[in-house]
Amino acid sequence: MQIDVDIPFTRFQLANGLDVLVHEDHRLPSVAVNVWYQVGSGHEVPGPTGLAHLFEHLMFEGSAHVPAGAFDELLESAGATSNGSTSNDRTNYWINGPANALELALWLESDRMGFLLEAMDQHKLDVQRDVVMNERRQSYENQPYGLAWETVAASLYPLGHPYHHPVIGRMEDIEAATLEDVRRFFRTWYSPANASLAIAGDVTVDRTRALVERYFGDLPAGRRTPRLEQRSTEPVKSRRSVLEDRVQLARLYLAWQSAGHYTEEDAAFAVLALVLADGKSSRLCRRLVYEERSAQDVVAWQSGALRGGTFEIEVTAKPEGGLACLEAVVREELARVATHGVEAEELACAAAQLEAAFVHALERIGGFGGKADRLNEYLAFTGDPGYARADLERYRHVTPDQVVRTARRLVDAHAVVLSVVPRGRRDLASNSTA
Amino acid sequence: MSQTPSPLSGRPLDRTYVPTTGVPARLVLPEPDCFTLSCGAAVRLLERHDLPVVAVEALLPGGAGATPVAHAGLATLTADMLDEGAGGRSALALARTLDGLGAGFDSVAGYEDSRVRLWVLSPRLPEALSVMADVLMRPTLASDELDRVRCERMDTVLQLRDEPGSLAADALASLLYGPGHPWGQSLLGTRASLGGITRDDVVRYHAERYQPGNITFVVAGDVTEAVLRELLEERFAGWEGRTESSGIECAVPEPDGTVVHVLDRPRAAQSEVRVGRISASRCTPDYFSVVALNTILGGAFTSRLNARLREEKGFTYGAHSTFHMRRSPGPFIARAAVHTPVTDQTVRVILEELTRLVEEPVPEGELERAKRYVALRLPQAFEALGDLVTRIAEQVLYGLPEDYWATYVPQLLAVDRQEVRAAAQRYLDPQSMTVLVVGDRAAIEERLRGLEIPVRLLTEEAA
Repeated sequence: MQIDVDIPFTRFQLANGLDVLVHEDHRLPSVAVNVWYQVGSGHEVPGPTGLAHLFEHLMFEGSAHVPAGAFDELLESAGATSNGSTSNDRTNYWINGPANALELALWLESDRMGFLLEAMDQHKLDVQRDVVMNERRQSYENQPYGLAWETVAASLYPLGHPYHHPVIGRMEDIEAATLEDVRRFFRTWYSPANASLAIAGDVTVDRTRALVERYFGDLPAGRRTPRLEQRSTEPVKSRRSVLEDRVQLARLYLAWQSAGHYTEEDAAFAVLALVLADGKSSRLCRRLVYEERSAQDVVAWQSGALRGGTFEIEVTAKPEGGLACLEAVVREELARVATHGVEAEELACAAAQLEAAFVHALERIGGFGGKADRLNEYLAFTGDPGYARADLERYRHVTPDQVVRTARRLVDAHAVVLSVVPRGRRDLASNSTA
Repeated sequence: MSQTPSPLSGRPLDRTYVPTTGVPARLVLPEPDCFTLSCGAAVRLLERHDLPVVAVEALLPGGAGATPVAHAGLATLTADMLDEGAGGRSALALARTLDGLGAGFDSVAGYEDSRVRLWVLSPRLPEALSVMADVLMRPTLASDELDRVRCERMDTVLQLRDEPGSLAADALASLLYGPGHPWGQSLLGTRASLGGITRDDVVRYHAERYQPGNITFVVAGDVTEAVLRELLEERFAGWEGRTESSGIECAVPEPDGTVVHVLDRPRAAQSEVRVGRISASRCTPDYFSVVALNTILGGAFTSRLNARLREEKGFTYGAHSTFHMRRSPGPFIARAAVHTPVTDQTVRVILEELTRLVEEPVPEGELERAKRYVALRLPQAFEALGDLVTRIAEQVLYGLPEDYWATYVPQLLAVDRQEVRAAAQRYLDPQSMTVLVVGDRAAIEERLRGLEIPVRLLTEEAA
């Protein structure tokens, strides 16, 4: 069974450098408008952290011709919704709505791409700074294990590496952001030449093109982010740390530098993650959760990005359970893959799941991970918006040998090991020497 | 540049002009095919062949709301147990089969329903449906697996004590419905109730509830009626039975005026604030007024709660409200996680906004925006197969008319300001709200007392 996961598109470029992708999908009278800017939290280095994400918030607060509050009011009146997100490498924005809201969406997107600063003021910054600090409190500081990931990243990537700090930024940096920081950020990164626009849905290419030229054609080009090469960093020395947190169960985090996105190795790491910890019958779940029942849960994933990747395994202990023995089992199972390889059936299973996920992603035109977003992602990171088929092939072609090699790399490399333990229970940490 | 002449090209661009959207295209909704299997199960199928995928849901009315509180967690525990071995396959073998098919599969229970759900590429539907049939008709429900699943569940319940949002949800449900009502209990149950559930309880629950006469298969995607009928008939032949689903009739406590309850979470970075009361049934005749009302208050980004607490004051990452509508009146809940020092101000703002809706008519423009937001967004609610299944299941579960979705937009657009205000007066009386704060008591108690609303301290056990 061969399933086609292609997303057909028409591509054109405006004179100011804006890349435009149009995908027709007439199943429903809906449209998705998606804009990517080639700037993420990684571009903040060196400098205060959190600015890219704080800036994303300010993009919804109105621009020269859109009064404060009107951005979302106009969209909601048209039956449309919007959101945005910031990662290490990029910032994206989407609007989903009925097909007749296309022109409204393009007017709003072009106005904030071209004329945001005319309407920027201290009050908007003050409020969104507070909102973002509350986002940080809600999603990280007031959540169990909420500070684990930034602790791991800070050990895994050295100071000065774009992935050393969390996307949301450090509290003191968010608090200290000034209007001048915001202005400089916009002038540096936000322009047609550094953006791409994808439109998917119940539209025609000709009318869409005419509208895009009308609303975006006269924006000054700006400058394109120089393409940063994948950057190899010094492998970290083995680092162990312990974090006491308001948690009932101790949790072990094991993380390695792995491979950047869209590489062959990235696909092999993704398959290894599925073999190790996806579903009850995966190796670590079966042994730790199902058979030995010494863990509450275990997850593993490969997260490839522009300038490197992370492979991570997390295991949550049972009440009163320590993490040292869990770490020993994880290392034993990694060594088993590295030494004895994987079964053909395990690879077939992983391929079936990945294929299904690709088809699943074709169900939606918009939002995070919808077709418009994926066209922009492929363009931004591979240069080819039509990369979907090749992307799935990358996973289908993973061989047992490649999986063995990735496991071998993890066995040989130093891992960052973090133990998150209940307050006062450092005895549960794995080799708690920190 | 485009060679196609555009009607737009001649007009100079004036950015002060807001593009109009005109009349939206009509959403044409396909009618589901309805038929009944010889085992008694009903089927509703929406065919769609643009992607090689099928979504199937076996929907059963009756869930945790029909279980006595002593057995809180039985409905969800039984749902969890269905795929822990079935039809002679072990738990591991069953998981491997589904993974090998690339299928998405789960079984869940809510307060009023239980569902077994499947999402699979259409060429693999026959095999996946065989697994689904085993899971529904022939789960092993082995003691050893039950011990493991129950232990995992008890530890999950333990872990949720760390999550402020989860603590707030459980405490508020208990305050609103009382500890003797199934809706006052977490769907997951408590460590005590879980400990008391035996294998016999699970076997009996499955035998009584999971009967073909109670089931509706809701199916959407790449399969024809003839093929689906044959696949289902083959797999569910010989299964029989039907039970009347009986909810538990249970008194709820009368709220004695608005009270602020505080659950202490020392040194918490934020307070989880909830304001709630028992409100409307899903079958209420003023349903569309309630939808418009909630959109104005807290159902959208520009709603009053979010506009004031987030966009005006920066107190929170987001403030929202929801009417959790069930067959009997479910809870209305307004919620926000806010910076600790502004906890009392947040409670005050939420109560102010409720008062304003009760006392003042909603401006016409604001109502118009709210109605258009909900009505014009409808196509997006029919996009993925899972969306289609959810929409049809909602009709089945609440006995909504066949033309419900076809008449949804005109019904909503017909709501007027008087109806919105009447709904606010019916459901949002600020004098009868239960306010709950999960936060750092030492930092917030004194200022909460300054609100001149009675303050009561909760202990975690009581909550």
